[in-house]
Order: sequence, then structure tokens, then C-alpha cells
Amino acid sequence: MTERSNAPAQDTDPLSLDAEMPSALMTVNLGPSHPAMHGTVRMTVTLDGETIVHVDPEIGFLHRGFSKSSENSTWHQVLPYTDRLNYVSPILNNTGYIMGVEKLIGLKPTERAEYLRVLGGEICRICDHLTCIGAIGLELGAFTVFLYAMEARELFWDRIAELCGARVTVSWTRIGGVATDMPPGWDQKLRDILPRVIELTNEIDTLLTRNRIFVDRTRGIGVISGDEAIDWGFTGPCLRACGVNYDVRKAHPYSVYDRMDFEIPLGTRGDTYDRYVLRLEEIRQSHRIILQCLEQMPPGPIIIDDWRYALPPKKEVFGSIEGVMAHFKLIMEGIQVPAGEVYVYTEGANGELGFHIVSNGTGKPYAIQLRGPGLPILSAMPRLIQGHAVADLIPVFDSINMIGGEVEQ
Amino acid sequence: MSDHAPPPSAPPRPAGESSSAAVNTGGGQPGAAAGQAQIPAPPKKVKVFVDGVEVEADARDNLIEAARRIGVAIPYFCYHPRLSIAAQCRICLVETSDAPGRLVPGCQVRVKEGLKIITTSPAVKDNQRGSMEFHLVNHPVDCAICDQSGECKLQDYYMEYDHQPSRIGVIKLAKPKREIFGPQVVYDAERCIMCTRCVRFMDEIAKEPQLAVVDRGTYSLISTFPGQPLDSKYSGNTVDICPVGALLNRDFRFQSRVWFVNKSPTICTGCSNGCNVYVESRGNVVYRLLPRRNEEVNQVWMCDEGRLSYHATNEKRVQWARTGRGDNAASVGPRIAVERAAEILRPLAGQGSVGIALSAQCTNEEATAAFQIGKQLRASRYFFGGQPAGDSDDFLIRADKNPNTRGVQLVAEAFGVKLEDASGIDGVKALVAMRTDGLPAEKLAAMEVFIAIAQNEDAAAMEADVTLPCESVYEQDGTLINWYGRLQRTWDSLPAAVGDAAPGWSWAKRLLDGLGGVGPTTAADAFRTLAELSPHLAGFSFDGLPDDGIVIEALLPAQWPARAPRPLPGAHSVRGPQTTPPGMKVGDEASGGSR
Repeated sequence: MTERSNAPAQDTDPLSLDAEMPSALMTVNLGPSHPAMHGTVRMTVTLDGETIVHVDPEIGFLHRGFSKSSENSTWHQVLPYTDRLNYVSPILNNTGYIMGVEKLIGLKPTERAEYLRVLGGEICRICDHLTCIGAIGLELGAFTVFLYAMEARELFWDRIAELCGARVTVSWTRIGGVATDMPPGWDQKLRDILPRVIELTNEIDTLLTRNRIFVDRTRGIGVISGDEAIDWGFTGPCLRACGVNYDVRKAHPYSVYDRMDFEIPLGTRGDTYDRYVLRLEEIRQSHRIILQCLEQMPPGPIIIDDWRYALPPKKEVFGSIEGVMAHFKLIMEGIQVPAGEVYVYTEGANGELGFHIVSNGTGKPYAIQLRGPGLPILSAMPRLIQGHAVADLIPVFDSINMIGGEVEQ
Repeated sequence: MSDHAPPPSAPPRPAGESSSAAVNTGGGQPGAAAGQAQIPAPPKKVKVFVDGVEVEADARDNLIEAARRIGVAIPYFCYHPRLSIAAQCRICLVETSDAPGRLVPGCQVRVKEGLKIITTSPAVKDNQRGSMEFHLVNHPVDCAICDQSGECKLQDYYMEYDHQPSRIGVIKLAKPKREIFGPQVVYDAERCIMCTRCVRFMDEIAKEPQLAVVDRGTYSLISTFPGQPLDSKYSGNTVDICPVGALLNRDFRFQSRVWFVNKSPTICTGCSNGCNVYVESRGNVVYRLLPRRNEEVNQVWMCDEGRLSYHATNEKRVQWARTGRGDNAASVGPRIAVERAAEILRPLAGQGSVGIALSAQCTNEEATAAFQIGKQLRASRYFFGGQPAGDSDDFLIRADKNPNTRGVQLVAEAFGVKLEDASGIDGVKALVAMRTDGLPAEKLAAMEVFIAIAQNEDAAAMEADVTLPCESVYEQDGTLINWYGRLQRTWDSLPAAVGDAAPGWSWAKRLLDGLGGVGPTTAADAFRTLAELSPHLAGFSFDGLPDDGIVIEALLPAQWPARAPRPLPGAHSVRGPQTTPPGMKVGDEASGGSR
């Protein structure tokens, strides 16, 4: 390569011992198969010595054709695809999509279902943040942090398995409600594990937050100002770490979030350290929401009783002509959603999760577009990392918590 | 009752149609019994209001048809646009300004100037829900094993108008299930909702009153008469118009779920009437034929024999190109087979001993390509065969059991060729056959050279030195001319091919390439060649043909069977009368929009 570094030379005398060694730019591939490239993403890094001149993230290795697949599926068949968008917080994705369909129909789920969705969603948010924090710790050499985070996440995923029947790809929400209610005694089990989760979170806090190595590696790295972050399209923890107070749950409350007492933590510097601390605090806020959900949750049905939208009980399906016909039509032709177009946005674990859904009045979506929070943030990666050392790439990339399934759809 | 009498402006019925109505078991109104659709609509228009929206309706419309003009659906089971009115099912009740607060049957009441029709009032909705609930009281839990699932009006209307559990907890009545009505039709009395469409069809359209309602009230069911099965040649239509799964086609029963088949338009090849049909298929297997609406050919009906004609596409097909006769036959692949055929034929060109045989089952494009081979080989004689003639009637069944006799004759005329009867093949040493129907196998055995482009494994195909697998009419783009001179399109309607099968013109083109000639590269190319030669087709283009065909007026016959549908004067190339009415799904026309 003939191009020379444009970094300012520290010493102009070529014979000085401190003179910068003249070097050509070097291009290095990081990923797609690299343990630190979560999901499967490839970074083409242009280096000037140890300094990153440019990063070119290449996505698409996890592209599954989400939008196109959705057009050939009934409304409910899309649901499993949404699990696979952000596979660390599937219930948040389920809920975002189903809220869009319900808005098209003009349908309100039962109150208990609303609470269950919020409860499940906040559990998923904690899991998502724990995964992110654990990964930052792991990749900066703090393996214990990762183990603590995984222990806490496992406690939750066991509860989710009991609640939904699956650990990760839960497909739990339904148009008009949710698929399954809490099993008997489940709420007590959840109350029992929450202190341990908070204990583990506090352990992580003490291990990392004032840890000299960790602070040096993250503070002042990958800085972006609030205004600039907004220009890039940041949402979620990465935006709030810059001090911008925008959380869909507070700004445009949906479901039963308006009945919840919780706070939106804000950062000040917009660097990797703030993004980490902010997630830690959000775990504690989600914990508050979960406890309030458990307290406020009313008894009652978990799904509406309308056979146009919800499957009839199995007793009716096998035992009555009305039930079998409703079941047949719902499965074979899908729920008939009135023609229309909606954009529904919720607060995903990493930011605003938007579904733009178009219906032409049939049993299948005409079009679905996803506004995942990850893509705008990932696209700012070159801006965040420019001028930093190559070793900083991993913590910065960890802190934006790019999820391949959602970015690449 | 003055509303119900035919308007004085109604034109006289077409000649040949009996004005004395057949036995009307449906309790229909006077004037409608003999088939409203056959009477051209009078120009009189009236303005009505459907849910407040102004609609310009035909004066003969009932409320259902008036509402359908703006896409407002009034549900119905027993009403069928081509049958008399029974007003039996009671789900089409609506409110009108003539009788405020009362419900009137939308099928029976005709429109009149300024009438306001209300289809959304609570009373109407309540009745629709109540009707569905009552219709389902004795309906068995059969969807999983019922062929009608997926095209059943009970399912559709239940989700649209009821969608609630039943409040009626009685034990369901047991009635005869799977009662064989006739060669085509099996009856399940438990599924029947007693709409009497089938009874009225047999009375009024088939003109063979073979079905009746027996017993009373809840116990009533449809029955044949003792010792007289439902053996009408039109019995299959009762299955089409049955809105539920009570009447099922024995040929199609349990063969496929309806949502797995691919529905595609084509022309029935059973006889020279050229009924417009949908072919339903999966892969390369045809499952059934259903009538497609064409007022000037088959209205919305077809005969039972035609319904079964698809079997020739499924069964005993020549699948692979082969060389050698009888026991010496060997599949060799299409390229080698064609090379072999050209090699045998090349020395015979111009020797005056080559004959060409055509079948009346050929499309015009295949016939054109066959004559091109004949020209290239300077064939001395041309033979014309086909399926043997059969029975006929005065409605849809023609004696000529070939779909394109008129077409092949027209092509021969265009090429200036005299056709001889295929049964008396002699005087040639070599024969090239475009389809083998009606060729005498014993004479072919003595033939020195016989090249066959054959669809089915028949005795003639076994005698061929080279056999090339031909696609059926349902599998290829082409044109056919029916008995009265209607040029109609066929389409490549099956998603997959059988073996090496290709259209006959395509084999002819490959043969012509081997013989140093030029053949058609597409069906449209073959048609263009033909249209340049034939004065009857001047100005027609393959891709410009309307979906419902076009009438070649010079071919129109002088004599018409009494009830055969015929072109409307001056309107036969217009899309108008054939289109699916607004508010009706494409493919639903035959079942009265109730599928």
C-alpha cells in the first residue's frame, strides 16, 4: 500500500529513537468467525500500526429474509420469526409484533395478559443486559463476571422455560393475549430467585465498576455526544448513556407501563463505561417493574375469548363443529386482519423496536418491515472507534450490543 | 306480487327453450324457474341504496345481486343465480325500506326504484348469527375428514357471521352417511343443510328430476327415487353447487385436500363443445376439473364424461423418448431419439411414400407443426383420426369426442391439404403421427417406418420405431376450435412435466431441425405461421386472444342443438358477459359464488 498514515508524527527527526516508525496501512479481518464478533459479523479494520483508521462492519451472515418470509406466513406464523430477531430477549420482540397486529385489528388483550407481557419482557431485558455486561467483562479478561451473569441469566431462563415451554425461542404472545399462564407456584419461584439475581448484579458491580483495569479500558473510549447519537439514530441504552432522556416506556407509555413506578437512568459521557453502568442500573429498574407486576397482576383470562382471533379451547375443537371450524379457518387461512398500515414501537432491550406492518385484509401480512435498534448503532461503529487502538474495538463493539438476528433480519 | 312477474319488457326466450317450467320443487317464483341467466338482461336500470350507498342495479336483480354490484356480501346458501328461488336457508334476510322492522329474503325480493336495503342492522346480524347456529345444530364434527373443507360455505360464514360456541346442546341426529347416489356422486345426509340446490338443478338445468326431498322437518333429507340412481350425465354439477360437503364427487373423494391443488384455467378435451374449465393439479398430477364460467360455451356447467377426461393426462402416459418397437424398445433420451427419427426419415424425403397422421386431439399449433413436417418430407398423403364418436344431447354434450376437429380441418385447409380417414391408412411406407388417437395398430405393424409423437401408451404407440412423449392439452400453451368455431386458448396449467413430455410442436421443431427444415420455436410462433396462411385467422395474434375465446364467424353452423349455449350476437369477442361479477371470487362462478 502506498498510502501513508495521516496521524501526526510525534517526532520529525527520523533518526530519533522516539520517531514513529513509518508504516503502510494494514487491513485486517476480524470475524465473521471470531468469538468476540457476537452473532456473525465481519469487521474489516484498517490499521495504522495499532491505531484504527477505519472499520467497515459487514453484515448479512445471519440474513434470513424476515420480511419476505413474513409475507408468505399467516399472522401467527410470523411470531416464531420474531423470536429469532433478538434471540436474547424474544418476549420483547413477540410483544412488539403482536401489538402491531392488535393495533391493526383494534383489539385489546386481556389485562392479565398485559401484565404477563410486561413481566416477561422485563425478565428478557435483564437477560439481555446481563449477556451484554457478561460479554464485556469476559472479553476484557474478567471471566468471573461472565460466569456471574450467566448464573443470573440461567435462573431467569429456567423460569421462562417453565412459563413458556422454551428457553429462548418462546413464541409466547398471541393476538389478544399470551399462550400460557404462570404455572402454579411460579410467582413465588420468581420472587425467590430475584434476590439472588440482584446479589449477582451487585457482585458484578463491585468487580467491575471501580476496577482500575476495566475503567481504563472503557472510560473515554467510543465517545459520542447526545446530538450526534440522535443524528445516527441511536435509541435505547446507547442513547441514554449520552444523557438523552428517551425511553419509549416513559415517552410513549404502552401496555401497563404507565402503572409502573420506575426510573430512567441516564449517562453523562456517552462512552463505553457509561453504556456499561447504565445497563447495570437498568437491571435494577427492571427488577422493580417485575415486583410491581407480580403485585398488581389481576386474575382472569390470559387471552381474549373471541374465536375470530384466538383459537378455541381444545375441548371445543374436538367436540363441536363450531370449534373445529374456527380452528380450521384460523390455522389454514389465518386471522383476518383488516386492511391498513401501522407502525408500532416499543422499548426493546437495545432501543426502539419498531414494526411497520401493512395488511391487505387477508390472513397473511402484505408487508412487514422491522426497525431494529441495532442497525443505526452498528452503522456508527466506524465513527465510535476511529483513532482508538485495535484492542478497544472489542469493548466498544460489546457495549453497543449488536444482535445479529435483528440487525440482519 | 306484481314485483315478481317478469317485466313486460323482457325479450322472448331464445328459440328452442321450453317456456313451460320444469317441476319446481324449490317453491320458486314464477318467471324465474327456467333459468334467469338465459334471458338477456333488459336495459332497464333502477337506483337502489345498499347501506346508504347508491347502486345502479338491473331491474331484474334481487337484493343479493344488487348488493354484490358494490361488493357488499349478503350471505346465502340456497340461492344460486341460475336456479329458481327457494328462500330456504334464511341467512340472506335483510331489511328494506318497504318493510321497516321486518326481515325479507334477499334472494327472493327484487329491487325497485329507490329501495333502501340495510344489511348491517342489529336485526340482520342477529339473524345471520342465529341462522348459522341453527344450520349447525345437527352438523357433524367432520371438517377433518370432509373433502369440502377449505371451500365450504359453512366454514366461511361461520367465521364471518357467527364465530361463537353453540348454545344448543342437543344430541346430533344420526342420518345416512356415504349413500351412493350414482356413478359420480355420494351423499352424506348429516352434512346436508337442505338448501335443495341439487334438486332444483336436476329439475331445471339437467331436466332430469332424479333427486327429491323426503321426510319432514329435522328428519328431511335428499334422496334418489327407488331403483333410479342419480345417473344423469350432468350429476357432477350437483357437487359443485352443493355449498357444504353433503354431495361429494366419488372420483375426487379423499384424493387431495383442496388447498393443496393449483387451480388453473384450461379447456375440457372430452368433446368438441370445448367447455371452459379449471384444471386442479399438484406437481404433474391432475386431481379434478371444475367448470369455468363462459356464457357462450358452457355457462357454468360441464358434463360428467368431461369431468373424467383428465385421467388421460395422469394415466398410461408415454414418459420417456424411446426407439424400437415392442420388446426392442429402449429409452434413449430425447436428443438421441430425435436424431434417430431424423436419420430414418431423411432418405425418405420426397420419395412419395411418406404419410402424416394427425389426431383431432391436437392443438392448432401441433397440427401446424405436423403439416410443416409433411411439407419438409413432401408427404404424399395426410390421415386424420381421433377418438370415436359418442353420445350427444341438446345441451353441452357433442357427439364428436375430440376437442379440435374444426381446428385441424382449418389448419389443413390453410396448408391446402386433403385429409383422409385414418382408419384406412394405406399407400405409404412411412408414417409420422402427431398424436396416435384412432390409428389402426394392425396396419401400423406392417409399416416400414413409423414415428409417433404420442401422449398415451396405446396399441399404436407400441408399434412406433421412435416414440416421442407428447404433453396433454392441459400441459401446454395452445389454441383449440370448438364445434361451432370458437377459438379458445389453453395454457400450460400444470406445475411439473411428466418425464420428457413436451408439446407436439416442440418435437416437430426438433425433428424439422434434423431434417434441415424450420419449425416453430414457441406456440405463439406456430400460431403466427398458421394465421399467415389461414384467411379465417387473419389479424389474430396468439397473445392477443381473449381468455374466453373468440368466434370465427365463417365457421358458425346453421343448426344448433336446442339448449346449447351460443354466442350472443355482436358480443362474442367481448369480455363482458364472462367476467366474474364484482364481489364474487374468481373460480366461484360455477358454484353460484358459494364455494
